[in-house]
Amino acid sequence: MQKYRDQKMRRKHRLPERLLTHLFLIAASIAIGLPFFWMITTAIKGPTEVNIFPPIWWPEVVRFDNFVTAWQTAPFGRFYINSIITSSAGVVLEVTIAALSAYAFARIKIRFREVLFMVMLAAMMIPGQVALIPNYVVLKHLGWINKYQGIVIPHVSSVFGAFLLRQFFLSIPSSLYDAAELDGLGHLRTLFYICLPLARPVVGTLTLYLFIAKWNSYLWPLIVTNTQNMRTLPVGLSMVRQAEYAIGPEHLMAAAIFVIVPVLIVFFLAQKQLIEGIASGAVKG
Amino acid sequence: MKPSVKNTGKANNRDKDVSQPIQTATPQVVRLIKKTSRRQRRNIIAFSAFIAPNFILLSIFTFWPIFYSLYLSFFKWNMISPIKKFIGIQNYSSLMQDPIFWKVLKNTFYLAAGTVFIKLAIALMLALLLNRRMRGRNLYRAILFSPTFTTSVAVAMVWGWILDPTYGLFRVFINSIGLRSPNWLTDVHWALPAVIIVIIWRSLGYDMVFFLAGLQSIPKDLYDAAKVDGASRLQLFRYVTFPMLSPTTFFLTIVSVIGALKAFDIIAIMTDGGPLNSTNVFVLYLYQNAFEWFKTGYASAIALILFVLIMGITLIQTRLSKRWVHY
Amino acid sequence: MKRAVRDIIIISVLLMLALPAFIFAGAEEEAAPTGPIDIVYWRALTGAAGDTQDELVVRFNEAQTRVVAEAQFQGAYAELLQKLLAGLAAGSVPDVVLLDSPFVGLFAKDGALVSLDSFVAADKTDFDLTDYVPGLLQDGYYGKNLYALPFMRSTPLIYYNADMFREVGLPDRAPDTWDELREFSRKLTKVENGETARYGTAFTLSRSSAHWYFQGGVYAYGGQISDDQFGIHLQEAPAMAVAQLWQDMVMKDKIAIGSTDPHTEFLNGRVGIVFGSTGSMGSLMSRATFEVIGAFIPQKVQRLVPVGGSVLAMPSTDKTRQSAAWDFMKYMTNAASNSYVIQKTGYMPVTKSAANYPDTVAYYAQYPERKVAVEQLAYTRPQASVISLGMGTEILRQMLEKLLIGGLPVSQVMAETTAALEKEYNDSYK
Repeated sequence: MQKYRDQKMRRKHRLPERLLTHLFLIAASIAIGLPFFWMITTAIKGPTEVNIFPPIWWPEVVRFDNFVTAWQTAPFGRFYINSIITSSAGVVLEVTIAALSAYAFARIKIRFREVLFMVMLAAMMIPGQVALIPNYVVLKHLGWINKYQGIVIPHVSSVFGAFLLRQFFLSIPSSLYDAAELDGLGHLRTLFYICLPLARPVVGTLTLYLFIAKWNSYLWPLIVTNTQNMRTLPVGLSMVRQAEYAIGPEHLMAAAIFVIVPVLIVFFLAQKQLIEGIASGAVKG
Repeated sequence: MKPSVKNTGKANNRDKDVSQPIQTATPQVVRLIKKTSRRQRRNIIAFSAFIAPNFILLSIFTFWPIFYSLYLSFFKWNMISPIKKFIGIQNYSSLMQDPIFWKVLKNTFYLAAGTVFIKLAIALMLALLLNRRMRGRNLYRAILFSPTFTTSVAVAMVWGWILDPTYGLFRVFINSIGLRSPNWLTDVHWALPAVIIVIIWRSLGYDMVFFLAGLQSIPKDLYDAAKVDGASRLQLFRYVTFPMLSPTTFFLTIVSVIGALKAFDIIAIMTDGGPLNSTNVFVLYLYQNAFEWFKTGYASAIALILFVLIMGITLIQTRLSKRWVHY
Repeated sequence: MKRAVRDIIIISVLLMLALPAFIFAGAEEEAAPTGPIDIVYWRALTGAAGDTQDELVVRFNEAQTRVVAEAQFQGAYAELLQKLLAGLAAGSVPDVVLLDSPFVGLFAKDGALVSLDSFVAADKTDFDLTDYVPGLLQDGYYGKNLYALPFMRSTPLIYYNADMFREVGLPDRAPDTWDELREFSRKLTKVENGETARYGTAFTLSRSSAHWYFQGGVYAYGGQISDDQFGIHLQEAPAMAVAQLWQDMVMKDKIAIGSTDPHTEFLNGRVGIVFGSTGSMGSLMSRATFEVIGAFIPQKVQRLVPVGGSVLAMPSTDKTRQSAAWDFMKYMTNAASNSYVIQKTGYMPVTKSAANYPDTVAYYAQYPERKVAVEQLAYTRPQASVISLGMGTEILRQMLEKLLIGGLPVSQVMAETTAALEKEYNDSYK
């Protein structure tokens, strides 16, 4: 009885508060979402609608030809192919490498394993930016400058992914491993037939996360690519902006949409998984 | 995000027999030793094979660069010439006398401070608002989080346009509160604040999600106990929520500071460090020296200082998080 | 044990499988050596100047069968220089490269460019080195050897918005002197509700060319930035006067701005006068919604401008490719090609035969206003020596930033810049 009254009181007390909460959150969402809206609405404006103040929120005539013009300012098709190749290859390699390390650290017992694990974790503290020059020199000796492997290979080693997967593999009951051993499965098959299928949600989140990170990466591809035909989308986009002769803001925004939209789509399709993946990492970390 | 290694101890019962002391060499035991050592050998080989790809890559592209950077930082070299000229610590002493380097340090600090305080405050507020069962919670969370995953180059270009002093969207808001829009990106005093706005916009959702996770991990009975003691909501926040969130707050502070030390993309696109180096930061200055002016040794010295700073902060984090953070 | 060995094999195979993209990339790189020789040409510049280069490459490939050239865009001059340095560092360079003219020495000094003397001597065709305009060919030399051929050469000009001039009642001509530029700018400036809605002039602060227009000012005032011995003359009266004038126009009069993207400001009608290369003429005129007129840079005690623009040089070391590259360079600078460049972009003739080429003559007869590019040829002089230092242009750009954005005292800025240039000379050149 007491409890019931409590709840009732609480609900009454909370109605205006709830409205206020929503109001705040809607305002915050608009503030965060506005740049995206502005990017889109600018991209479909005519040249005279761009350069006026106060700005107009929606163009008289929607100009989709801006996208065509923007697409032609640079070989965006090639940039797309390059981004897809480097991101996918990078993700496949990094997840594989992470899974292998994770399995070794979780299930194969040898001496010095903990020491090696600490060594690997230490790598997480080293900022990649420190390695720019040495990596460039290494790639130069390998002849990998301006090649796909030069963009991908220096960044497929995995510490965070290995750590994440190891935690998961440790949580798999050892009876399953024993059963696998009784069935005569080797380590590799145990990893692929037992561990990875069980870890599918974690692997999925990791894959998505890494893919987006690689898709967005700018500094390293900027340094190792020399020519238009090897540039990834972000680098190509930045080159469009650097063009000596001006292209209008509407074309610039249209070009930005080419780059941003695939990521946004992936994100909104998988947002729950991605956010919760990060949040659960936060709790554990 | 410092992982714990507690649970890797000796829980692995398959290997228990190995560690057993062997006192009498009965035939069975001999057989057992042979068997286990064979298994040990096999394990060592398998283990090495499994970690080899990762460790080879880490050695080449992560560990070795530290030593090579240190080495290069004692030389004058333009990356083209076959000759590296040894100049001792001259790169470091020039750095200490380089006014731009000091400006870069100051900017980085300013960037860190500017982002941390404002961003964490807003992120915490949003997390508190979202930390309840409500309609549309996931949608809000997704929208607020979405900038984190967007391509920084594109984001920087969009914001450059929004901040345009004449036709920009931001001018509408500035004018509506009766102020005059500054020339954001070309004004020495406003360029860095502009960058801070964009970085806050981009990483707010990330911090919010961490705060949300932190809030959800606070045990309910703590609140109940406090309520029994008659605590007001403000007091609940002051004495329960905030202290219990301190690990998260501390972690996010460190992440933001390191983020400022590593900032590059957005600044490179929006201002390229200008005007007058008022937005130049560590990695950008490193990049300029290394890949625009080909002062490889000098840039290596900058890289090494960056490394020491980040290492220092990380070590402080691990030390302090044990001491003053309230678990 | 066996199982472990098998595991290792499987892992290796797996890693191999993940690498097809790279194998594919490698295969593309090493095309079959039979057939025509493929050469790579790195170009800079966009707009009309960029399209023209692409078009000439297409024409070259159609005109002969021995060589197939591919043009690769590298950004503006400054970016292309960085990419070339990076390419040299990485050992992957193009066969022919377009260079900002003052940088020949920087690359020739480290042996990164191939001397063209042997090709000139061995050439059996009707190629004639003396056909090139001597003042333009000069930049191609380092020491006694020739390293580059003049290609898209230009001088700094000012461009003004003629519609805007009429609107405020200015005469239908460009400001002739620097003092007049100030006066015109004041008239063009428009203040609305306490905010400056339009400025008279935009000074260029972009990486590639900020220094160039400043040099133009200093030449007009009868001075120079640096001499052949790398003596710096920034603290002398002419340079100080130009710096003071520009700063006053921006800071005191508020009738001018410093901009990293002045041509956009100009095309959007936010400024009335901008500086630009002769090579920007085609682009600006075709893009503007108003009448654009190009004119001489203002004069003071004399009319003299630093000649700029680009040259073609050869970084490769492979013999067969070099001969192919030489053919390409000759084609790109021959009379027909050069005439095409002149018509499309507004760049200057680099050979006498191109100037007298029927198409060129007819073109100038039809568009007399574009002749300014040729006329200014009589008043040219090479750029300051410090431009060829690795950071030379950047130091000068920062100087202009300090003056026009920072508003620091001229004497202080000039002293700092002089020190920075001297340090850079000691660091990178000596």
